[in-house]
Amino acid sequence: MAEMVKLFVNGREVEVESGKNLIDAFKVIGVEIPHFCYHPALGADGNCRMCLVGIEDGRPPLVPACKTLVSPGLKVQLDTEKIKKIQRDMMEFELINHPIDCPVCDQAGECTLQDYYMSYDLQDSRMTVPVVAKGKRMDLGCGVVHDQERCVLCARCVRFTRLITKTGELGIVNRSDEARVEVFPGRPLNNRYAVNVVDLCPVGAMTSRDFRFTQRAWFLTKDKGICHGCAKGCNIYIDHNREKYKDDVIYRFRPRLNDQVNGYFMCDEGRLTYHAENEGRLQVCRLEGKDCLQDYAIQSAKALLGPKALMLVSPNCSMEQMIAIKALSEACGAKLSGYSDGYIKTGDGDDWLIQDDKSANRAGLALLGIDCTKETFTGLLNGSDVLVSFNNDLFVHETGNEFLQRLEKIKIVAIATHDGTLIQKASIAIPVASYSESSGSVVNKDGLLQHFVRAVQKNVLPLDMIALCGTLGGPVATESDAVNEMKKVIPSLTDMIPEGGVKLTASEAAHVPA
Amino acid sequence: MSNRSKLIVTGKPFRYDQERDVEFERLVKRYPTRESMILPALWLIQEQEGWISAEAIAYIADRIGTFASQVYECATFYTMYNLHPTGRNHICICRTLSCWLRGKQEIVDYLKNELGLKPGEISADGKFSLEEVECLGHCGTAPVVQLNGEFHESMDVDKLKSLLATLK
Amino acid sequence: MEVKILSAKFDIKDAHTLEVAKQHGAYSRLEKLFSMEPVAVIEEVKSSGLRGRGGAGFPAGLKWSFLPKGLNKPVYLTVNSDESEPATFKDRFILVRDPHLLIEGIIICCYAIGCHDSYIYIRGEYTTQVKALQAAIDEAYAAGYLGENVGGYGFKLDVTVHRGAGAYICGEETALLESIEGKKGQPRSKPPFPAVEGLYGCPTIINNVQTIASLPYILENGADAYKQYGTEKSPGTHLFGISGHVQKPGMYELPLGLPILDVIEKVAGGVLNGKKLKAIIPGGSSTPVLTPEEAKTVTLDYESMAAHKTMFGSGGIVVLDETVDIVKLVENLAQFYHHESCGQCTPCREGLGWILKIVKKILKGEGSMEDINLLVELCDNIEMKTVCVLSAACTMPVRSYLNKFRHEFEAYVKKGASAQADVKQG
Repeated sequence: MAEMVKLFVNGREVEVESGKNLIDAFKVIGVEIPHFCYHPALGADGNCRMCLVGIEDGRPPLVPACKTLVSPGLKVQLDTEKIKKIQRDMMEFELINHPIDCPVCDQAGECTLQDYYMSYDLQDSRMTVPVVAKGKRMDLGCGVVHDQERCVLCARCVRFTRLITKTGELGIVNRSDEARVEVFPGRPLNNRYAVNVVDLCPVGAMTSRDFRFTQRAWFLTKDKGICHGCAKGCNIYIDHNREKYKDDVIYRFRPRLNDQVNGYFMCDEGRLTYHAENEGRLQVCRLEGKDCLQDYAIQSAKALLGPKALMLVSPNCSMEQMIAIKALSEACGAKLSGYSDGYIKTGDGDDWLIQDDKSANRAGLALLGIDCTKETFTGLLNGSDVLVSFNNDLFVHETGNEFLQRLEKIKIVAIATHDGTLIQKASIAIPVASYSESSGSVVNKDGLLQHFVRAVQKNVLPLDMIALCGTLGGPVATESDAVNEMKKVIPSLTDMIPEGGVKLTASEAAHVPA
Repeated sequence: MSNRSKLIVTGKPFRYDQERDVEFERLVKRYPTRESMILPALWLIQEQEGWISAEAIAYIADRIGTFASQVYECATFYTMYNLHPTGRNHICICRTLSCWLRGKQEIVDYLKNELGLKPGEISADGKFSLEEVECLGHCGTAPVVQLNGEFHESMDVDKLKSLLATLK
Repeated sequence: MEVKILSAKFDIKDAHTLEVAKQHGAYSRLEKLFSMEPVAVIEEVKSSGLRGRGGAGFPAGLKWSFLPKGLNKPVYLTVNSDESEPATFKDRFILVRDPHLLIEGIIICCYAIGCHDSYIYIRGEYTTQVKALQAAIDEAYAAGYLGENVGGYGFKLDVTVHRGAGAYICGEETALLESIEGKKGQPRSKPPFPAVEGLYGCPTIINNVQTIASLPYILENGADAYKQYGTEKSPGTHLFGISGHVQKPGMYELPLGLPILDVIEKVAGGVLNGKKLKAIIPGGSSTPVLTPEEAKTVTLDYESMAAHKTMFGSGGIVVLDETVDIVKLVENLAQFYHHESCGQCTPCREGLGWILKIVKKILKGEGSMEDINLLVELCDNIEMKTVCVLSAACTMPVRSYLNKFRHEFEAYVKKGASAQADVKQG
């Protein structure tokens, strides 16, 4: 429990956490201090002057809240006429050279200038002289587009590339109102986290080329999710929308704060995996290469289950799905493997968020004691007549090629989210819901168990993998069935998984290879 | 100043000559951080070439071991660094307060009307370039002109004519 | 009225050379210095009442006493030779005519504060001056007054000259530190103050050239001797720069406390060509302007200036005669501050440009009375809301011109309005 400190805001006594600056401390108690340049991950810069607050009996009487730590008995004034005027004046200075091109700016609807104008300004413009002209639509690299006219020169983007990625591509050149964010010629943005500056930018100066002009922020439903791009399990927002007469589609992923996993950021590759949720999906059941009805496909698949079947589990399956699959295999006597070496791109990971392992829940396989070794899989495959893949793409990164000979001789049932080589070879193909369309829990590479809830609701609800297992004859047919089983494997889990995840205990984690 | 940050890419690599190389290594020992060399290193480029190209900035960024963007920031922030070539003789006229009060405009107008040379420009034959600068700290002998780094005080149009006549 | 304390050697031939300087006392204070405890040196400087000569006037000895004790970090001295405040032209005389006085002052200060590495930040435009200074430093090293064993007293001191490159803002102490560290001269928020966390995060003292150059006299003759000059709260002498519309513009060393009109008349020969006095800028362009009526009771010291709602500043006096168009003068100054703004914080970066554009608008005859009111309001909106005082250095004088010479702005508005009416009718 953090140490608390009593101080006053607008004459009212409050209790806040010690060691924090006024902005962070007051946010917790629901009091907003407007600011542009401060960011908890980047520190205080003190250049926007929007967070100036009054200190009664203070020396000095006017301080930037971002650089002022809480102290006992401090008398902070936010709502005096003087402070309100300063807030209006700072907004005025921000806006005089701003193009106010909201109708064509991505940031509209989630723009700090817009929000603060409504909360703290509401004045007419008094600007009767020519504005400062700056660059537009500048390509900074890595899919980041820069509109200099909108820039408030908070320097968050510069501090990000200097302090966080330590790649230093961005700088603010020139003096006075000639100051601009620029990249050095020939050295554009070139790191795997560059698009985070788009999230960091409080205005529309930094936009993502991928997202630019595709959707208005106020049409987006912003649901919480977990990125399945690698074993880090970065927390994300899944921003999606169903336009009239169309289907629910994801327009972007954005990082979501989780101090235990990814902080405020995510990598660019993970950010773009939303495309895979929208595209390349297996839409219709197939039997011997021809489209067929779902019931027919499922019954045909059920008929193939038995001791001569090998079930191949994907490391991207959730804990609940893996439990359901394992229960099904035990029920019908099928063999079980989680072989998925193809998902590991050795050497690709870095020392921050990006992992070699491009799957989200390999730790789950270990927790459930599902063998993943190649030797075992090869042996089992050679001894089976049927391969039932539960969304495990054996041909990811072409690793499946060495099994081609055996695969020619057996029947393949592919239960999958996406079309691909294995699905093309399958006798039976059954589409299922992907992670953004279902709920589940995953364990990341640090042994953190996280839960996510369904975000996207397609017009035609895709088949739930756990329900499918039930229809195929498995005893675990619902999410709650699976959760009950999960609690047996993770004894410390007595209640719901908290937001932000929970670390597995040492003994639980002992099942999980490092 | 608005296009100041538009660097010139010469297409040719840059390196210090022998003299500047030695001076760089001598200076670097006098600071506890290599970043402190950014301003001195930029001066060395300007001494050697008369102006600072994009390649020169990249060269010293790599040699110091810092980001090119940081050197770029300094090169544009400090307005004495020439980011494009100047004339063979660079004329700086103070435009502030006391020099303005004591007749700098006559000198500027003379250069414009008689030699067709406006602030920010290079003469057609490349002999002169002109810049209006802020207070040069010689207010007691205003107006002052700085020519190729040398101060010429209590200037007027006649004195300027004589001075320019001595130049190549 | 003139005295020769700091400028004692200025007119002696070759006094910039070590040989001649020594003949006239250079480095003769070292023996006394190194026989004292550093703390005693600080006390002597405190007692002398020496105030910073850069423009802020903060007591030097007091500033030195803010250095924290017992920190396991080096202490730095940076000497501020940026001298970019318009109307200021004093420090360069020391650099060219008596550089060894400055070096000796640096030795005194560094011994007192426990500093072994000092940087002199000199503005880039001072080309001849930096050569003279470096030559003197080289001489001092060769003669053993700098280096591993200063004067043979076992004290190590290195002095490095660091050239600026055309930024007035680097005269601000924290911007100066940023510049030495290889960054843009963007001032830092205070606290923390440089005395605690300055150059490279270490305790740092920043003092003006003239302040440091005043130290040898104080050490030799004692605090009391120094206090013989000037006033009680503003002791000592200052290198005043008088420029603008005067008969004899130039640099003059005077004790503080003399009446400003007397000085203009008797030292600088009065208003140029016998014209009428219109206004006086008392201490550099950043100081609010004085009318001739106000100037009658102004003396050249910190207290009198403050009482008249202006500042002593850098002692750069500019005399304005009846021919000066105040609105054009404001344009000239606004252009300067706008050009020199570092661009870091919003009100200064956007506001100074706005002020300049409105003044230009008024000059073009397109201004209105609302524009004049807006100018006054903008001065209030910007001032004290910024990271450093460059914005106030613009808004305080601009406000004073608007207050005391508003009729000149209104004349442009009226002339412009009638000229517009003529255009419409004609």
